Amino acid sequence: MSALTATVRRLRFSREMVLLVVLIVLMIVMSQLSPIFFTLGNLLNTSRFFVEVGLMALGMTLIIITGGIDLSVGSNLALVSVAVGFSFVAGLPLPLAILFGLVVGVAAGLFNGLFITLLHLHPLVVTLGTLALFQGLAYGVSEAEAVSDFPGWFAYFGQAYLGPIPGQLIIFIVAVVVVWLILSRTRFGRYVYAIGNNEEAARFSGVPVRRVKLALYSGIGLLVAMASVIYTSRVYTARGDSGVGLELDVISAVVLGGASIYGGSGTIAGTVLGVLIIATLRNGLILAGVPSTWQLFVLGVLLLVAVFLNEFFRRREE
Amino acid sequence: MNLSDDPGAEQAATTADAPGVFRLRNVTKRFGGVTAVEDVDFDLRPGEVHALVGENGAGKSTLMKIVHGLYPPDEGALEVGGEVVEFSSPRDAEGVGIAMIPQELDLFPELSVTENLFVGRQRPRTRWGGLDGRAMRGEARRRLGSLGVDLDVTTTVKQLSAANQQIVAIARALVGEATAVVMDEPTASLTEREVQQLFRIISDLTSGGVGVVYISHRLEEIFQIADRITVLRDGHHITTTPASELDAEELVRLMVGRPLNELFTRHPQEAGEVAVEVRGLTREGEFADVDLNVRRGEIVGLAGLVGAGRTELAQSIFGIHPPDSGQILVDGEEVRIRSPQTAMEKGIFYVPEERRSQGLILPFSIKNNITLSILDRLSRFGFVLRAERRTAERFAKGLSIRGAKISDPVSRLSGGNQQKVVVAKSLAREPSILLLDEPTRGVDVGAKSEIYRLIDDLAREDKAILLISSELEEVLSMSDRVLVMREGRVTGEFDRGEATQERVMTAATAAAEGSREASGDE
Amino acid sequence: MSEARAPAEEGGRSLGEAFRRFMVRPEAPALVFLVVLVAVFSLSSDRFLSRSNFESIVVSVAVLGVIALAVNQVVLCAEIDISTGSMMGLCAVAAGMVASSTGGLVLPLLAAVAVGATAGAVNGLLVTLGRIPAIIVTLGMLYALRGVILLVTGGTWITGIPAETRVLGTGSVLGIDAPVIILLALFLIMELVSRHSTWGRNTFAVGGNRRAARFAGLPINRTRFLAFALVGVFVGVASMIYLGRAGSIQTNTGTGLELQVIAAVVIGGTSIAGGRGSALAALTGAVVIGVILNGLILLGVPGIWQSAVLGALILFAVATDVLRRRLLGYKA
Repeated sequence: MSALTATVRRLRFSREMVLLVVLIVLMIVMSQLSPIFFTLGNLLNTSRFFVEVGLMALGMTLIIITGGIDLSVGSNLALVSVAVGFSFVAGLPLPLAILFGLVVGVAAGLFNGLFITLLHLHPLVVTLGTLALFQGLAYGVSEAEAVSDFPGWFAYFGQAYLGPIPGQLIIFIVAVVVVWLILSRTRFGRYVYAIGNNEEAARFSGVPVRRVKLALYSGIGLLVAMASVIYTSRVYTARGDSGVGLELDVISAVVLGGASIYGGSGTIAGTVLGVLIIATLRNGLILAGVPSTWQLFVLGVLLLVAVFLNEFFRRREE
Repeated sequence: MNLSDDPGAEQAATTADAPGVFRLRNVTKRFGGVTAVEDVDFDLRPGEVHALVGENGAGKSTLMKIVHGLYPPDEGALEVGGEVVEFSSPRDAEGVGIAMIPQELDLFPELSVTENLFVGRQRPRTRWGGLDGRAMRGEARRRLGSLGVDLDVTTTVKQLSAANQQIVAIARALVGEATAVVMDEPTASLTEREVQQLFRIISDLTSGGVGVVYISHRLEEIFQIADRITVLRDGHHITTTPASELDAEELVRLMVGRPLNELFTRHPQEAGEVAVEVRGLTREGEFADVDLNVRRGEIVGLAGLVGAGRTELAQSIFGIHPPDSGQILVDGEEVRIRSPQTAMEKGIFYVPEERRSQGLILPFSIKNNITLSILDRLSRFGFVLRAERRTAERFAKGLSIRGAKISDPVSRLSGGNQQKVVVAKSLAREPSILLLDEPTRGVDVGAKSEIYRLIDDLAREDKAILLISSELEEVLSMSDRVLVMREGRVTGEFDRGEATQERVMTAATAAAEGSREASGDE
Repeated sequence: MSEARAPAEEGGRSLGEAFRRFMVRPEAPALVFLVVLVAVFSLSSDRFLSRSNFESIVVSVAVLGVIALAVNQVVLCAEIDISTGSMMGLCAVAAGMVASSTGGLVLPLLAAVAVGATAGAVNGLLVTLGRIPAIIVTLGMLYALRGVILLVTGGTWITGIPAETRVLGTGSVLGIDAPVIILLALFLIMELVSRHSTWGRNTFAVGGNRRAARFAGLPINRTRFLAFALVGVFVGVASMIYLGRAGSIQTNTGTGLELQVIAAVVIGGTSIAGGRGSALAALTGAVVIGVILNGLILLGVPGIWQSAVLGALILFAVATDVLRRRLLGYKA
């Protein structure tokens, strides 16, 4: 626990405890609403749906800790999906097509990072621009068509099970551990917190601020690309409008997990709990027969409430 | 200039018994656990210049922020015209005629001079209800004219020189019917000629019955214009005396609390090889053609006014803002430094003046701050080693950072202890060349003398030290050589023996004809 | 530089000086860009430079332009509003539902403006009193309001809007289309408001230096709140133009509009950092977008590329703003 001071850790711990309690209460409520909710089968099945958001939320946590944001993740997911699908249709062997997709995802993230660091622009503006740009490229390149004649083994990424456990859940767990180690145990993680708390002082201390940011935005590009491959495999279709609005789920999860939107604080444990709460909510609402039209509304309000409570408690602690 | 030449002084003499403009009674203000001012009395009479002096961190600015309605006092009261008042914002203070010209000017860089004067004020309107631009510009020109300057009132403020920005800030403060004006270090970035212009403005004000609180570090200025002097030390009121009853030596003793020679520690020694040298270093709008060198075991003082380009020079050597042209040589070899990382690899470390914004990550623990610049040495395969804690403890202990655990966030520490953490952080890097930028700013006397002892130790360990300081005593007592900068250029170099207050101040301020270009202001 | 140059005040200025004065105006680069664009498109398509084509361009950006004029004020305050797409949809739904039952122009307009103002006020309250960053508030509202649309309409289209309700989109006065008149009228109002009202002047100060604005005693929260509320009102008006021109409302009405609005504001030259810009900048930005989309159609570029062009434009605009400031020697 080298990255956190004793006091802050105590505080975080309590915040995460609150989230855990919320999650448990939520699960109990959901199991009352729907008898099949609290079955192992359903829980594991649910996990198939939050892995994509979860992977992106891991990267988003680090970016939000540095005081940045990436609104382009949903569009980037679509871009990667199209890159995989259409390079495959164009004759690239599928493994290479997938590799190409990963490269596109990282390149898109790197593009964001370069724009932000070289021109000193606010990430909000840049990624708002690339939100439109990536989306448009995905539409344009795919000519608004879909690809779904993948070979059978492509389903492995999003539909395979190891025993009762969905394959992507294992990928997610590995990613969680890796990102958690990076954030809490490494020099890089310390730099991330330093930049988020005081970017100028970090620079004066010899923290390679630009390189850290480039790594972060490229890194989230990689996570988005992984999410995209899983998503494309799960729905077995590559199309330009995949992932529309996913940035909301991702940011909501991170903020719900206790990361301050102003930067400087946030944890992987919190984010994972945030992801689980949102997934439970979505799944539960579906099982309980709540119309899907409600879900956007619920998510939007949830995001607002989460940020509000976060900042409210943070101010009281100070 | 002598006191009786000053029309404000005569005015003050005749109105000395009139009711004060305002009075602070037994005021105490704490921030968290730190007491900034305690049980302080202060009053201002109409038409006088009342100087408020004290070392950095003595509580001057805090006291005046209470007067200006930015902070409510924890104890004690503020009286205006004999009545106790409670301000909830600067607007309330301005409502009763108390204006403030803060040290960091609160102007709107993107807006025109005219617009800056009228923000938040009543504006003239035309018959049709629109704003009367012509009248506003006329009024702006008239106000600036009454201060003796002629500016294009349609230019944006960011294009003005530091001196003209200062004048806009004064004009802005005087838009209301001010009876008291607080000036916090108004001459910090002005040339001698501009200072005299400011003094003329002040005497115009006082002869009109306005009281002026004048905060400054420059003792000669204080004796030139002040009628009374109040000394604060460590948040306590020490004395309030007519200026004519004090001399500079006595004033310094009151401010510092002990004779100067006990504060400083310096054992001059034979300097070694040149450790760092710059030749013709230039950065557009900040400094030009700077040559200087620092030898091993030597302390070179860098004196000058705020805004003379010293901080910019040091930050350039440290790679924050790389120079446009010129050479930097470390141990005789030319190096290209484009980032603080490379500077550190070359053994250079810069201790910034802005402790809270540039020196520390406030929410981080003492340990994490001390090790932030040496994580590359304290990690393997990117993972931070457990040895980190021992290293941090060693450096924290060396500087006797008291009353705190190594895992406490530095935001809870006092200014002096925070500064020690900044210094510990730089020592942890074990640099051979240290650039110290105002290392004792805002630090109490005890911590100051410890920092001086430490600087002396470092020099005796053969480190090359560049000491940037605006406190002349500090520069003169600590340095083996003194360089003086003015308007981005080195204008004087003195050996320890020949450096005197007068010589250094002359080199720092010698009336410059033509004003500085605007770009260096930030 | 000012004091080096002798008092040139109100005197005759050289052409170079006049050019310099123009080039430091926030909307100057966008105006130059617009002229270049018009020249390029006129050369490459002879259908471009006609009155009817130009009027159709302005009509096509009227909805965008009206909203951009208000969002411009929000951006001047150094805030942002990306909820306008859903907000426009919801206002149109409100107007459409009222129109379906009562007909007429005034009641639907009032309904649209009331709904918009309410949504804008919620944004403003959450940002000022709730102290939540505007990007998060309006992102949340973007989705929440879209949810409300789906909820209210039950996912069905609203059609059969009576002709008299559609007059703001379809009518004309003296041969000039109503949307053009509305856009230009609101532009003039915003120019006047930003130059001649205390609130208008305060927006520049609040966005330019929040700390100094607080010390100057400006009502920072009220200034920002009014900007957000104004967005709601203008979105209400814009939704009537939309309703008039489209004649029906789908549940995805207005999707993506928020991006075009932000694009218009920043392309026009209002600084995303706040404190610098003008109503003319917002209008110019909207027209630039209209010209580009129109030009792309004339050049035969498929519509699916619109979003990509828009994104590239936003990035181009913010990048040139940075480079221009560096070239002029300002340290940001």
